[in-house]
Amino acid sequence: MTAGELDRPATGQVSHGSVTGHPEVLDGPFTTRQLLRLDEALRLADRSTSLTFSVYVGELDEPVRAHAEKLHAQLADPDRSVLLAVSPNQRLMEIVTGAEARKRLPDRDAKLAALSMAAAFGGGDLAGGILTGIAQLANHAGRR
Amino acid sequence: MSVLETVLIFVGAPAAVIAVVAGLVYGGSRRGRRYRPGRPFEFMPVWFLSSQAQASGAGHSAGDDRRAVTGTAERAALPARTPAGEDGPEPAVAAAPHGATGGASDRW
Repeated sequence: MTAGELDRPATGQVSHGSVTGHPEVLDGPFTTRQLLRLDEALRLADRSTSLTFSVYVGELDEPVRAHAEKLHAQLADPDRSVLLAVSPNQRLMEIVTGAEARKRLPDRDAKLAALSMAAAFGGGDLAGGILTGIAQLANHAGRR
Repeated sequence: MSVLETVLIFVGAPAAVIAVVAGLVYGGSRRGRRYRPGRPFEFMPVWFLSSQAQASGAGHSAGDDRRAVTGTAERAALPARTPAGEDGPEPAVAAAPHGATGGASDRW
């Protein structure tokens, strides 16, 4: 996994090569071990649901919801994508589901995942909250 | 017991213990970068997708993913706090359906 620029998401496997090739990812909020676990969680979620999960961690401009939706719209296939946008400093988060993804992930399920993520974030566990959220969303979306 | 021995035992030994504990406390944690809600937390914004091969395996065409991901690849520097915007790829992106998105919000 590589560090995403603010105007585009990053892809890529976590490998020692890519991490050392892009050391800026280590200026992000996660340790190498957390990055590996995040990458694994994203890959599993994508594979099992055939939706595209994406995680953004950084500031969100006001209005927050609109900014999150704008980021979501920049993904390759927004309709089939789920974006988890987390702003630790503002202490808020958004889950954005595309039109197709929303049929598999009703807002009620997204809210449930958001609740457990916020609980983990409130305890200071950023990576754990995101992992929980991805797992829950993937679980609710079901296999496809 | 000489004065020197007394000083070594009653001052030197406690000082050594204090130094070891202080060293463990301040030297042990890496940079002390831990997120605590309510305190400012400095970091570079990050945005992750799963790996490209997997994304294409998940039912999208690889070309689509690559275009979206590398469309702005040349803009290497991270522009602080600006949503992608005003210049390059935005018009193409704006065509994506907006009203149909769902999801949830939360605070902590």
